[in-house]
Amino acid sequence: MVSAFTRIVASHHALVHINVDGVDCVAPAGEPLATSLLAAGYVMLRHSPNRHNPRGAFCLMGVCQECAIHVDGQIVQACMTPVRAGMVVQLRGAV
Amino acid sequence: MVSPHCHFDVLVLGGGPAGMVSAITASQNGLRVGLIDEQSEAGGQIWRAPWASSPQGYESPEARDGNKMRDRLALSSVTCLFGRRIWSVTDRYRVDLLGADGVETFQAPHLIVALGAHERVIPFPGWTLPGVMGLAAATIMLKAHGLAPPKDWVLAGVGPLLAAVAAGYARKGHPPKAIIDLSGPSDWFAALPSLASRPGLFKQGVGWVLSIVSSRIPIYFRHAIRRAEGQDRISACLIGPVDADGKSIDGPEVGIACDAMMVGNGLVPGGEVPRLLGADQVYRHELGGWIPECDPFGRTSLEHLYAIGDGAGIRGGAVACIAGKLAGLAAAHDAGRIDAGAFAHQSAQALAEHRKLSAFSDAMAHMIRLRPAQVASIEADAVICRCEDVTRQDLVAAARAGARDVNQLKHFTRCGMGPCQGRMCGDVAAEILAQEHRLDRQAVGYWTARPPLRPISLQSMLGRVDYADIPIPKPAPL
Amino acid sequence: MSTMHDLIVIGGGINGATTALFAARGGMDVAVIDRGPLCREASGVNAGTLTMQMTRVALIPYALRAHHMWATAREWLGHDVGVVVCDGLSLAFTEQEAELLAFRAGKRREAGAPITLITGQQALQIEPGLSDKALLAGHCRVDGYANAYLTGLAFRTALLDAGVTLTENNPATDILQTSSGFEVVTKQGPLRAKRVVIAGGVWIEEMMGWLGIDLPIKTLVNQLAVTERIPTAMRTVVGIANGLLSLKQYPHGTVVIGGGWQGSGSREGGTCSLLPERLVGNIRLACHAVPALKDARLARAWTGFEAETRDALPAVGPVPGIHNAYVIGSIHSGYTSGPYLAKLLADQILGREPDLPLFPIDRLLKPEPLAQG
Ligand SMILES: Cc1cc2nc3c(=O)[nH]c(=O)nc-3n(C[C@H](O)[C@H](O)[C@H](O)COP(=O)(O)OP(=O)(O)OC[C@H]3O[C@@H](n4cnc5c(N)ncnc54)[C@H](O)[C@@H]3O)c2cc1C
Ligand code: FES
Repeated sequence: MVSAFTRIVASHHALVHINVDGVDCVAPAGEPLATSLLAAGYVMLRHSPNRHNPRGAFCLMGVCQECAIHVDGQIVQACMTPVRAGMVVQLRGAV
Repeated sequence: MVSPHCHFDVLVLGGGPAGMVSAITASQNGLRVGLIDEQSEAGGQIWRAPWASSPQGYESPEARDGNKMRDRLALSSVTCLFGRRIWSVTDRYRVDLLGADGVETFQAPHLIVALGAHERVIPFPGWTLPGVMGLAAATIMLKAHGLAPPKDWVLAGVGPLLAAVAAGYARKGHPPKAIIDLSGPSDWFAALPSLASRPGLFKQGVGWVLSIVSSRIPIYFRHAIRRAEGQDRISACLIGPVDADGKSIDGPEVGIACDAMMVGNGLVPGGEVPRLLGADQVYRHELGGWIPECDPFGRTSLEHLYAIGDGAGIRGGAVACIAGKLAGLAAAHDAGRIDAGAFAHQSAQALAEHRKLSAFSDAMAHMIRLRPAQVASIEADAVICRCEDVTRQDLVAAARAGARDVNQLKHFTRCGMGPCQGRMCGDVAAEILAQEHRLDRQAVGYWTARPPLRPISLQSMLGRVDYADIPIPKPAPL
Repeated sequence: MSTMHDLIVIGGGINGATTALFAARGGMDVAVIDRGPLCREASGVNAGTLTMQMTRVALIPYALRAHHMWATAREWLGHDVGVVVCDGLSLAFTEQEAELLAFRAGKRREAGAPITLITGQQALQIEPGLSDKALLAGHCRVDGYANAYLTGLAFRTALLDAGVTLTENNPATDILQTSSGFEVVTKQGPLRAKRVVIAGGVWIEEMMGWLGIDLPIKTLVNQLAVTERIPTAMRTVVGIANGLLSLKQYPHGTVVIGGGWQGSGSREGGTCSLLPERLVGNIRLACHAVPALKDARLARAWTGFEAETRDALPAVGPVPGIHNAYVIGSIHSGYTSGPYLAKLLADQILGREPDLPLFPIDRLLKPEPLAQG
């Protein structure tokens, strides 16, 4: 895996397990999923529906929709979705 | 449909500085206030609540101001309706929300809209690659989540945010590999006198410069990103010189290997709600784009609709607070809770402060203004609309096929039709269209605002229904 | 002195634009005036459904011919407007709806629409995306949809190629009758022509008023919604018996959800707004019919104005008592049938015998002006 984003503040939040495309990962409960994925090295999240170009989280504030991926079978914006224990994340967009 | 237990005199949309202050002010003056935000805590972008560390442990002045205001909010009688996505705002002011429990509706005779701004990024080929992110995203990672980009990262764009992000990460031991600044030292010097009016910020700015200098980060002034490269992620970028207007000029290009890039070119007011309601709009280049026409109290052309904060013109956090105070007072006055004398008295000081701050906010807004020449330099193959992968050359072709306003451009190309609803591409697409026809921005217009204000899942709108419960209107004639 | 055109069409929606196109191809010197850009009102924002199962019975013969025109749009218009021809299904979920469906499908079949009644199970075989709750379905092979937002682009090119003088963003404000024909007063100055066609969508009432004719037009405010692009969830046009649902998925993946749920607004102000609870109602119906839609996100919803005459039948023909003045509009499911009716009107204007009768407006006028006219 290419170099990941690095945590520079010790979090006081409990770590929980989530599943990302079949891989078990740990993430702080309540953190926006997009942030956890960056820290876990998942920078590419999906492909654009028209020309199928790789995309990752861009704005982290709910605007760009680049982080819209499947969580527990539903499309959600990863940057607006807090991590919950047992979340099943699929790195694919609406299409 | 309207939630039966809540009777509000005013609803405030957006829990950033402008929204928080207006809510507190209105409630102090006797109004029943509901404050709505999608985040689970108030603060907005600038005062975003530090999440990773414990709140007390965080040191930045913004975090302190934010915590102070959050405390005041907690002590006020404002009803906080957080964790809810606003998806529809209609007449006399009905607001439809989507929260954890599904759809909810609130209504109030006064509406204060303080939904802030979103970032402008001037596209270049490759800006859609994973690992390329907005400057605002960088501040969120830094302030709220304690996350740094990988070692080889570059920082590009324009304005004070560039310095704040560079310094912030430098202090944490994660400086960018290079800073690519669209402006030159002379632009920064030009902004200095206005900074002097804000000693606190001046000190903060000096601190940023010192951090940047002491970490020996190479700075490329008057440069911009020409393109980013990579397969499934950015692996390198190419930068080149620009002139004082932001136009690409001949000169040596430099390649930089990197696996992340944070880039931003200022802010665009998010004026969708006033637009959706039909308030009069005006294009103000120096305030970031299209904004509702407002009086000094934030009153729009529609009765009892107020627009404040960056969504009503980019002026920054300090002005947003004052605008919040003024709108809160105006709402109290317009609702008959305070008389004209008290209103004039209480608002006089805020109006004076507002004037005092404007030199600084104007200078900052000027630094992060849209540079039309930079837009003119965007390469033909650069994607403008990320959602629909519409490139500059697609837009130019549509303009030549006769599209003269932005909504026609949208119909011809699907630019702006994707789930971001044109927020990421709107400003640049309109600028390209205007340049193509040599029209001003007023003439090419703005996207028609449409609900939902953010995409929402169909599932979440359904609730528990039986087919027989769906109210079905009378059939069409045969 | 401005040129004397053979024909001025006021209003560049599907009706005005098609009338202008065929008149110009028939040899006339034609000008089209629109207040905004071409086809950006009803004709650019509609749901694009080209269906017989929502068309009024009296219009079926026209709609069938119009459907053929749409299917071959590339040939006469030069652009395919994203037309897809596919099967259409109109569903009934309750006994009552089944009764309504059987009755309505029967009437439409008598008028020539090839609709057959099939069971819910059979419908499921045609459209695997359907819910298994349908009791009965009307099935029609002549169905499909266009991509309405491309209409303006298509007609703009076609009209210019046909030599039509196009003035967009130029509202007309009055029509004066002169010795040689008409003078249309517009923001950009007067335009003159021997003949005039009023094709202003919901605004034809106001325009007829300029000629001293009182033609009451009701304004419907139709709501529509669209999802973001999703994987293939359906391949047919799906509706329900009472006509209050229309659903189809475009090749690029978005699903348009309509059915004529009404928003609020007025044509005078030109503003309309969506009623959120009606949007929710429409979406509930949509997800009931095609359950996979639940997983989609709503990207956008909007409204548009549709015109309706007193008897809900079209206003297409000469203006009584005013030589060389014509009107076209208020065609139910008018995006489907509009092009064919407009072609018939162009024939009449060109002095040819239309293949099918028009819908003259005499029936809609008060008797007094008729007697005088
Ligand atoms: C939301 C919605 C969904 C629909 N869905 C379908 C469907 O799925 N299938 C179907 O068959 N039909 C559908 N319809 C109906 C169909 O869209 C209309 O019947 C048809 O487009 C009407 O065409 P028109 O040319 O009469 O009107 P319009 O397209 O409204 O054109 C009228 C034109 O007149 C112009 N104008 C107005 N005033 C002036 C003035 N003063 N000066 C100059 N120009 C002026 C306007 O700018 C406009 O361009 C739908 C309608 C709506 C609103
Ligand atoms: S990263 Fe932009 S919406 Fe989530």
